[in-house]
Amino acid sequence: MAEILQYVHKDGFFHRLTPVSKIVFIIVISLMCIISINLVFLAGLVVAVLLLAYISRLHREVLQQSKLILIMSIVFIIITLITMPNGTTIGYLIPEGVPLLGGSIPITQGAIEIGLILTFRFMILIFAFQMFLLSTQPRDLVHTLEKMRMPMDYILMFIIALRFIPTLQIEGNRIHEAQLARGYNPGTGFIGKIRSVAPIVVPLVSNALIRSTVLGLTIDMRGYRTGKRTHVRESTLKPGDYGVLFAMVIASCGYIVLFMNQVI
Amino acid sequence: MIELEKVSYTYPHTVQPALHQLSLSVKKGRCVLVTGPSGAGKTTLCLAAAGILHHEYGGRKEGRVTIEGRDVSGYATLSELAQMIGIVFDDAEAQMIFTTVEEEILSALEHRGLEAQVIEERLASIMATTFLAELRNRSPHHLSGGQKQRVALAATLALGNDVLILDEPTSELDEHATRRIVEILNSLKAQGKTLLLVEHKYAHFKDMVDTLVVLEAGSVIAKGDPEEVLKDERIKRIVIPDFRGVRSSHLTPAVTDTAAKSPVVTVQHLSHAYGDVLALDDISLDIHAGEFVAIVGENGSGKTTLVKHFNRLLSPTGGDVIIRGKNTKASTITDLARHVGLVFQNPDHMFFADTVKDEIEFGLKNLGISDGDRIIDAALEDVGLMHTKHLYPRWLSRGERQRLAIACVIAMSPSIIVLDEPTTGLDGNEARLVMEILKGLQNKGHTIIVITHNKEIAQHCADRIITMEKGKIISDSPAGGR
Repeated sequence: MAEILQYVHKDGFFHRLTPVSKIVFIIVISLMCIISINLVFLAGLVVAVLLLAYISRLHREVLQQSKLILIMSIVFIIITLITMPNGTTIGYLIPEGVPLLGGSIPITQGAIEIGLILTFRFMILIFAFQMFLLSTQPRDLVHTLEKMRMPMDYILMFIIALRFIPTLQIEGNRIHEAQLARGYNPGTGFIGKIRSVAPIVVPLVSNALIRSTVLGLTIDMRGYRTGKRTHVRESTLKPGDYGVLFAMVIASCGYIVLFMNQVI
Repeated sequence: MIELEKVSYTYPHTVQPALHQLSLSVKKGRCVLVTGPSGAGKTTLCLAAAGILHHEYGGRKEGRVTIEGRDVSGYATLSELAQMIGIVFDDAEAQMIFTTVEEEILSALEHRGLEAQVIEERLASIMATTFLAELRNRSPHHLSGGQKQRVALAATLALGNDVLILDEPTSELDEHATRRIVEILNSLKAQGKTLLLVEHKYAHFKDMVDTLVVLEAGSVIAKGDPEEVLKDERIKRIVIPDFRGVRSSHLTPAVTDTAAKSPVVTVQHLSHAYGDVLALDDISLDIHAGEFVAIVGENGSGKTTLVKHFNRLLSPTGGDVIIRGKNTKASTITDLARHVGLVFQNPDHMFFADTVKDEIEFGLKNLGISDGDRIIDAALEDVGLMHTKHLYPRWLSRGERQRLAIACVIAMSPSIIVLDEPTTGLDGNEARLVMEILKGLQNKGHTIIVITHNKEIAQHCADRIITMEKGKIISDSPAGGR
């Protein structure tokens, strides 16, 4: 089973960068996509991030979330169609021929645009964060955040939150199988999901709590919280890093200029 | 090194003490093995000996624990205790913090105030000692149970402490993986390390154990030289499981002639692949009604993958599985649950109800049986858990939880009962009790299929032993001594 948001050992462009460069990359890209409302620019940014994922040999992992993103984008567009009708009406979500409700939700160009803007923003954020997490070993991340003067306990909390994702994923599957073997048939769809909550979530949470106690003790007993550390195999800035940092500076400047001139 | 003097401890919100007036001395360079029934206080003893109990847990404490002559309360933090003691907990998975094997060990080494050069040397040496060099870039989540245990041990060894406390390091491991751990611990003892081991597999460790301690209900009931301790038959039954005679117990003539009956499980040319990995490779076999079959083999040989096809938790990549004359492809998991009961290795994956009774009732309701009081009582009677009927399932000991998992399945009255490693984490008496319960079920006409690493179980309890290796059946023969 593929693990979500976990480091994968590879030798790619993004893997070779130091966490600092990647953090700068994430910050610049995130700010750009959050501030911008230009559809073409956002679409370009999606393509650029995917291209970078391809160069870094991470495209397969990154695209694993396509299904989730597709569902999310449909939800976004439906919500914006209902809540933010704006501009030319192209058609109706419920055809006009349908009695009573027919023609009540207009499909407007403005609403579609806003829906797409939200979708592109989320795609960029999800892809960029995924690339960061897939290519950075938690150990390097700890060191970088430590250098950024983040308190050790907060860093460990962040690392553990990430680390629990595959554990819960694997554990959830095992519990689901165990309950199915007991003849449990919650049904499919939304109602099924609601009904299956207790038999799956109760063991999942109970086991995770026990596990987190052991994990906490392990962190203490391996001395991770002592604060003293020998610096081994520290990542140093390499030509690739300078390239990325330089590119980010240029991109930021270019973005500000275009933004000021109301081009994007 | 470690001294416990009349230590008593009661967990918060409980009445019964987990440890009671317990005294134990672990001398430098010695190996002390602690064993006993589940719920006897073995893990609590580990926590007490490491000083964790006095620092991290509330509850009522009495007595004195000293490490290197200094009272544990005198150590300011756990980090300070971590300079003296290394502890490996039984849940290896919970101790995997990082994303590759090497990162896990390196991270532990970095906090010891060593020179960078020394760290690299020690990393290489620990990797070699624990046979992990080939796995250095693998994600811990993709390792087998035995490999995870070795990583947890390696990360603890990285601390370079002279005292190691290990809580059931081999509980879920097969013969081969257990021997590897024993080999590692033997070499550590030879290096002068002090070892406090909690284990159910005394036989594997007997050559290295200096003192054997048997706990029961939080108290030491036997302690001393292993040979002396094992002279007491009652103690011996706890320490060393004895499955002799289980097969012939209460055997009724009705189930002896199995060959004449039509098969209840038929597997024809079954293959199963996880992605590119072929887990089952062209398996064919028949299991007849009333048979007691043991499926043995190393971790990863395909045993669990095979039995998951019996109730369609997995669907064949190739071939067919026929249960009581019906192809599983034409059945749903819910339908199959009426005929095939599967008890997983870890009972904690299924418990969610507030009482033992509700837990069993869940399965019955799934089958549409609403008035199941009589059935629940009968199932609890069968596994000897009647007294726990109104208790919260997770309060039971590991042995009791294992039996409850069996009760949940037998209440649903499937004709075929499949159990994955039913004796994991149980002492000799508990393991025998579980096997006797299964034998009783066979005598009532159920077909029993047990997956086990334990050759003793296969030889003394089953009628037939199927051995698997790399997704194939390499032998299928009647059990010896019939």
